[in-house]
Amino acid sequence: MNPWLRLIIYLVAAPIIGGLLAGWDRRISARMQSRQGPPILQPFYDVLKLCRKEAIVVRRSQNFYVFFFLLLMIFTGALFFAGSDLLLVIFALTLATIFLVLGGYKASSPYSFIGAERELIQIMAYEPMVLLTAVGMYMVTDSFYVHDIARHPALLVLTLPGIFLGFLYALEIKFRKSPFDLSSSHHAHQELVRGITTEFSGRGLAMIEIAHWYESVLLLGWVFLFFAAWPVLGIAMSLLVFGLVILVDNVFARLKWQAALRSAWTVTAVLGFGNILALSLLRGHPAPPAAAAVPPANPPDQISAPAAAPSSNLPT
Amino acid sequence: MIGFKESPWILHYDASSCNGCDIETLACLTPLYDLERLGVINTGNPKHADIFLVTGAVNPQSKEVIKNLYHQLPEPKVVVALGICACTGGIYRDCYNVSGGVDRVIPVDVYVPGCAARPEAIIDGVVKALGVLEHKYREMAALAESIDRVVYLQADRGDAPEILTLQKVAYQSEAELYGDDSLPALQQTLEELEKDFERRPAQEASELGARAAGDHPPNESDRIVFIKAVVNGKIIGSIRGYAIGDTAYLSRMMVHPYFRGRGIGRRLLQEVEQAFPQSRRFEAKTGHQSKRNHFQLGKLGYSRYKTEPFTPTVTWVYFQKERTLQPQR
Repeated sequence: MNPWLRLIIYLVAAPIIGGLLAGWDRRISARMQSRQGPPILQPFYDVLKLCRKEAIVVRRSQNFYVFFFLLLMIFTGALFFAGSDLLLVIFALTLATIFLVLGGYKASSPYSFIGAERELIQIMAYEPMVLLTAVGMYMVTDSFYVHDIARHPALLVLTLPGIFLGFLYALEIKFRKSPFDLSSSHHAHQELVRGITTEFSGRGLAMIEIAHWYESVLLLGWVFLFFAAWPVLGIAMSLLVFGLVILVDNVFARLKWQAALRSAWTVTAVLGFGNILALSLLRGHPAPPAAAAVPPANPPDQISAPAAAPSSNLPT
Repeated sequence: MIGFKESPWILHYDASSCNGCDIETLACLTPLYDLERLGVINTGNPKHADIFLVTGAVNPQSKEVIKNLYHQLPEPKVVVALGICACTGGIYRDCYNVSGGVDRVIPVDVYVPGCAARPEAIIDGVVKALGVLEHKYREMAALAESIDRVVYLQADRGDAPEILTLQKVAYQSEAELYGDDSLPALQQTLEELEKDFERRPAQEASELGARAAGDHPPNESDRIVFIKAVVNGKIIGSIRGYAIGDTAYLSRMMVHPYFRGRGIGRRLLQEVEQAFPQSRRFEAKTGHQSKRNHFQLGKLGYSRYKTEPFTPTVTWVYFQKERTLQPQR
């Protein structure tokens, strides 16, 4: 497909899909708590309402930062779905989040400050893993371009099982869900008031919500990349991963930031770095033995491993 | 219009309640009643909330908090008084430390009586509040759209209730500014305001001996002039003034919070000046911290000439302006 066409589809469809996912999230969470839950379209109602509320700001510039958060988040997704460099995507994503942090700092409220600080800690926690994901994908496909990675004939998850699991861990942090909802607590957890979003109201808050929708689509697109060889499986796995995130959100209590940081780096070191190490050790051999050597390294809980085994014999 | 009715976010505050109503409120969010199916989120953050649920009677400690939270809620907002204590003070109303229901501090839109209010009643109250919220939004939007069609008229006695309501809303920001809700404008009752329409200030002044009685005999024009700014039949601004001798005294300029910063206050001042064609000098007083008023008066050619302490929190600043003689049209 033409990258420009893909870009336009992304710009229009991402907020719709992201909003529906958020609605689905609230519905599923409610069902897990044996409640009925709000309608699927609830996030859209919320944002429409927020757009028409009075915008109270502590400083006018705080909404300026949030606007750049939204803009850069859209830009990040656009880079990704246009098939650009994965490293550039990571840098743009970080920059977007930094703008949110700046917005939180600008609002000068203690809750907002704590939220902003914790957001920075979360960036520290997940960033190494996200970078290793890009490195791992490069090692397998010899390209940092999303465009090339997506066209790789083999399922990436088979050669990058550790990286995939590590990425799931980073995803939990990136979605700001329990046990990592440190920076801006979701519904019903109130000891931080609302963390980084405390001082935003009306349109500013609506922009943050919309940015989160774009963010979810981007992150699930990344999950898809692990299964890009089999697109149907990829979409199914993306949704499954999102379901897993919701399940984890409902099952776990919040971690302290120290624990979040420590565990995230442990996961990065063991799963992410371990996977990279294994890859680089095996890379010395010609391709077929390398591919044959990988399946035993898979953790037993890899659902797709048996089904996908034949394709892993393809030359990489 | 989709929006306000579908997505009410709640802020719940316990102003010295016995926790009965609070437990019932939280019960509304549990699986049995599940208020979230109506889109309700218990936010715990005033800046995200639309509906302010208050339980319990108001005491001196919670009074400030209620006011603070109320001012942090973005417009449009609705206040629900939950339980009989929040409605009227309930069985505690005669206690030395209880000043009564929530409506003693902030305007209340929906009252949910009961001790404790049952979850069904609370849900009923919230649903009713949604209607009020929608109504307020529509009013706000309609008024904002017709902002260029403001009509300035003289008000009469029949307008007193509406002007008083506006006064209570408009002076909330002043009360917040000075941290004092005993400002005279907020204490005025409807009877007092209605009586203002009958008063003859020059005559009163002369009876007090401030001026020689024969100087200015009582006449038709000796009364307090009320100017109102009307949009869509709703009063959104008002000012009053009276003349004693050569001087016209202007007071109680108010503009509804939705309509500030659009030049309505300045127009009101100009209108009231024109209502006193005989006056050579205009005098107005305002609080020392109301910088906005100072700025506006300054723009219209007023200059400050004295200050006078009024209460420990408020110092009056007096402004005056000499009328420059305009060529006869």
